[in-house]
Amino acid sequence: MPPANVTKKSSATKAVRKTAKSQAETDDIEEWKRAKQLLKPKDQLELNELELKETIGKQLVSTNNRLPDSLIEFSYAQGTFIPIPSPGNVVVSFEQQGTLLHKDSEEARQQMLEMGIDPLTYQTSVETIYEPEAEAEVPSETAEPSVAPEGEGDTTEGGTQTEEGKEEEEGAEGTAEKPPEEKPEEEDEEGEGETVIKATVKPAAKGGRPRKLTNQFNFCERAALTYNNPVRSQETQTIPPPMANFSANVLQWVIYDAYQEDFAAQQLEKELERERKEKEKMSIGKPSQPKKAAMGRAQLSEAVQGRVLECWRVLERMINQNTFNDIAKDYRYWDDPSDEYRDEEGTLLPLWKFTYDKTKKHTVTDMEWNPFYYDLFAVCFGFLDYMKPLQAGAVCLFTLKNPSFPDYICVTDSGVMCVDTHAKYPYMVVIGLYDGSVEVWNVHATCTMPAYRSNSVTNKHRGIVWEVKWAPDLPDGELNFFSVAADGKINNWVLMQNELAVTTIITLFLDKDPASGPDGTLLRAIACASCVKLHPDKPLVYLVGTEEGHIYKCSTAYSSTYLMTYYAHTMPVCRIDFNRYNTDIFISCSADWRIKIWEDERQEPLFVFDVGDRVGDVKWAPYSSTVFAAVTAEGRVYVFDLNVNKYKPICVQAIVSRRKNKVTRISFNPKLPILIVGDDKGCVTTLKLSPNLRIMCKAPKKQQHLDQWTLQCMKLDKLLALVREPVTLTLPEDTAGSEDS
Amino acid sequence: MSNEVEETMKRIQSHKGVVGAIVVNSEGIPIKTTLDNTTTVQYAGLISSLADKARSVVRDLDPSNDLTFLRIRSKKHEIMVAPDREFILIVVQNPMD
Repeated sequence: MPPANVTKKSSATKAVRKTAKSQAETDDIEEWKRAKQLLKPKDQLELNELELKETIGKQLVSTNNRLPDSLIEFSYAQGTFIPIPSPGNVVVSFEQQGTLLHKDSEEARQQMLEMGIDPLTYQTSVETIYEPEAEAEVPSETAEPSVAPEGEGDTTEGGTQTEEGKEEEEGAEGTAEKPPEEKPEEEDEEGEGETVIKATVKPAAKGGRPRKLTNQFNFCERAALTYNNPVRSQETQTIPPPMANFSANVLQWVIYDAYQEDFAAQQLEKELERERKEKEKMSIGKPSQPKKAAMGRAQLSEAVQGRVLECWRVLERMINQNTFNDIAKDYRYWDDPSDEYRDEEGTLLPLWKFTYDKTKKHTVTDMEWNPFYYDLFAVCFGFLDYMKPLQAGAVCLFTLKNPSFPDYICVTDSGVMCVDTHAKYPYMVVIGLYDGSVEVWNVHATCTMPAYRSNSVTNKHRGIVWEVKWAPDLPDGELNFFSVAADGKINNWVLMQNELAVTTIITLFLDKDPASGPDGTLLRAIACASCVKLHPDKPLVYLVGTEEGHIYKCSTAYSSTYLMTYYAHTMPVCRIDFNRYNTDIFISCSADWRIKIWEDERQEPLFVFDVGDRVGDVKWAPYSSTVFAAVTAEGRVYVFDLNVNKYKPICVQAIVSRRKNKVTRISFNPKLPILIVGDDKGCVTTLKLSPNLRIMCKAPKKQQHLDQWTLQCMKLDKLLALVREPVTLTLPEDTAGSEDS
Repeated sequence: MSNEVEETMKRIQSHKGVVGAIVVNSEGIPIKTTLDNTTTVQYAGLISSLADKARSVVRDLDPSNDLTFLRIRSKKHEIMVAPDREFILIVVQNPMD
């Protein structure tokens, strides 16, 4: 019963309840009475009226019918059964020893004698005798110990003795209430009980105390009935405790969470305990405690904000997925079916276009896929048209999952010319700027300012930084990178605690005689480096392309000489790339319209291709040893597969409109069959390679166990064997290429 | 950080086909919205209970697992939900146009 209900009703029905209660009491009694019904055994005889009225005579006799006769008992003494006397006709049904004695009986007389009273005088004189109290007391006390050992029957005597004692006491009390010595007359006048009067008169005469003697009749019993308190019932009620409804589902995960929380709390407890102990040991003050808590709250809200941002980003990707649903499907599933009927030729399918509003006027100066996240790539926004310099630049990290907006934007003061992402730390991005400085950004930490920046006055290149490349980490784990710039210097930068330490590895000079200055000083002409490529296998060796068209093979061990000089091009070398399968093979491209493939230690190129316009970039494909792609300034992408065709590209496709745009850079995705192409309007186009452009090697029937890597290497070696001719002979390929121009 | 959040939300709102975006706190009360009042309240209430239920389902199947995102494709819209312990982000997009 809810207590709330009672409180409501109680006050209203108080009066009613009182009357109801008394009524209920009487009812209870009646009910109890009624319940007292006679119980009949089931097998009781049912008698009719006549039978009931019939009288059955019964006789009472003075003899016991059931008296056993000839009772015997075994006597151990005699060794025989001996008859025992008949118990007689008396049947004792109840027996109790009384404590009262008739005063005429023998026992009473004896008792009186013991008490020192002559029974004869006692009988003749009055019913009460007068004795000094001390006299009465002494015998009763002496009697008790003497009586006790006598046995059962005597205990009753003891009882009588004590009873007597009590009576005596009562008598004493009575006397105490009304001391007879003081007011004998008064009592006389009042006329109380006859016995009392007699008793009081005699002692007055004798001068002793009256003593009430127990006798047959001289005692009275008093009973008092105390006043019965009327029955009352009182009720109080406390204010009911506040109630709340609570309902919860207990599910498996709720239990799991509870345990996890408990575990965490325990861990925290342990941690705190340990800290406390440590502090006790240290016994140094603890002012940092409250600060920490405040920091914690700020950090918490910061963390929530971070999560909010993260969620928004994912939602943006979802929205983009919906918006560019058809492109996403093309990217994933569409392979040009017409390739089957077009032997040796393939196509490129344009997918997303990546732009950033603030860099629409910039030129894409460099692009690089992230070595860790296959869908992420960095794009540099700078400018190559020196007649129209732009003030700012940016590096944007785009992901294929969000074509509408870059994931990370790092804005710089000057145009960004090159970028490289660290292989081990994919968030460390190094960039080279138009003004000759280099910056290292940690995009994971912040995109608002660089983690490292070279000093803009003392510590920088005096020319455009054309390329930066992360070098393998130093033995003690410090990151370092190389940069090449138009001032002909190749610098090695080491990321120290909070600054960049720079070492100039080499200053490139043209191998010409020094020109004499106007005042007779000799000046060595500096070669303007335009690109660099570190050897993938040999950590010391690297190739540098210059604006004069030479390629120098250098080593970081020697800062004054070149290991090799290739007189490769007649115009600036734009990019060099090592073949992934055979690192002795590298490719170079130049503004002199040509793409050349070189072998290490061989002065003459193995292949020369003329594409009819300035070649901005060339890259080997990661999936095949014989495929490479190049872009030209007029907006075309060329894809070559030497294994298919040694003379002509297998795909030429215009990506942007020829008049408005120029294509500057190209990059293969290391994992997906995708190319990205950057143009001078700040736009990056994604292209999917059709099946013909990514034909993999088929293992010959006898060598099924060979893996793709070996097959690719074999394919390239076979091709090279055809081209490698004795050095004495002139190479027909080169002349064929030059004819085109 | 909050600036970036603000910008991202604005950008999402400007995306093609996006009808609205709502930020709901852990109690199911909308904090930020680009929709009108009644729609927002309705979305916030219904989606937060749905997200709770969905999370419960995922967690019940494997307690060490958790719900990260929820997409509901309807005939007219797609409702994208990013449920978190402290907030829920809801974006309604009309992917057809």
